[in-house]
Amino acid sequence: MLETPIIPSADYSKVYEPAEDSYLLLDLFEQIRCELSSKRYAHSVPLVVEIGTGSGVVTAFLNKNILPKALYLATDVNPHSCVIAARTNSHNATSYNMDVIRCDLTSPLLTEKVDILIFNPPYVPAEKVPEIPKDDKDPRWLDLALDGGPTGMDITQRVLDSLHTILALKGEAYILFCARNQPDKVVEDFKKKSPGKWDVTMEIRRKAGWEMLSVYKFVRLCE
Amino acid sequence: MKFLTTNFVRCAVKSCAASSDSFPLVFSECQLVQQEQDFDAEFLTSMLDRLDWPALIKVAADLGNNSIPQVKPENIDPEDPESERILRDLHSLLLETQITEGKMICNHCQHVYYIKNSVANFLLPPHLAN
Repeated sequence: MLETPIIPSADYSKVYEPAEDSYLLLDLFEQIRCELSSKRYAHSVPLVVEIGTGSGVVTAFLNKNILPKALYLATDVNPHSCVIAARTNSHNATSYNMDVIRCDLTSPLLTEKVDILIFNPPYVPAEKVPEIPKDDKDPRWLDLALDGGPTGMDITQRVLDSLHTILALKGEAYILFCARNQPDKVVEDFKKKSPGKWDVTMEIRRKAGWEMLSVYKFVRLCE
Repeated sequence: MKFLTTNFVRCAVKSCAASSDSFPLVFSECQLVQQEQDFDAEFLTSMLDRLDWPALIKVAADLGNNSIPQVKPENIDPEDPESERILRDLHSLLLETQITEGKMICNHCQHVYYIKNSVANFLLPPHLAN
């Protein structure tokens, strides 16, 4: 079993503490390690982007254990996360190939460059998606990591809608869902919008407390 | 933000995505720090084919470095001393140069983004958000 990255002195009132959802992603990447490391992407150095990196545990795990020769770019809207994620990475893995930027999803990234996208979204159904706090000291930064609107899909749906502009050809996205997001229906609708252009599979599923979590892989097959 | 990252980011405003003026951003009033990093010749060599060379030259010039070769180096053989020198230079520029403070400006909409404490901030004010 691969080691879970150590997160040095994080303040979990400011950044999402790794939980069952984070560990489900780590377990999945451990399971498919050989497949990932033998795969040929559009470029010889794959660009791995993690949206909403939080503590940075997933990116650090991949950089350390799964694809040490990839280029990593982690994003978060939370200013505390940007600092902590970079620190988590350098504490556990090489830092020459990793950077963090503060942004909404992937908004400043050049289109169709990402070979591997990872997203553990704010998937919890909640009345609405919280507004972005104006001040770094605001205690509500954490809410952004959790609340995803009425079906918990508000943010994930935005990523799915722009997935064809984010991913390079043959690029793949690993996105986490909870059962209340109705992932089967989401995937069906997604495939209907662009028939034949995507291969979507459920990669792992696990009960975590009263939640049923799953990770789906979306592979971009063609233009 | 590492110098390398400037090769992957453009203006975050949606209506700028289609404009070639939104990439690369214009870097101004930047403070740089050299941060030592492990040298990985193989990584750099493979990285070369991902790089947008004209953008790299432009950003380097913004930051006061006009010594970048006009053409992307080819036929890099990490065993060859001349190639190694080129890779070491690229290593120092792309991976060791941290922009710790500064401004990034979109040449299309003129929006100014800031880099503070080494973190580039691409969040948009509500009236520009997508």
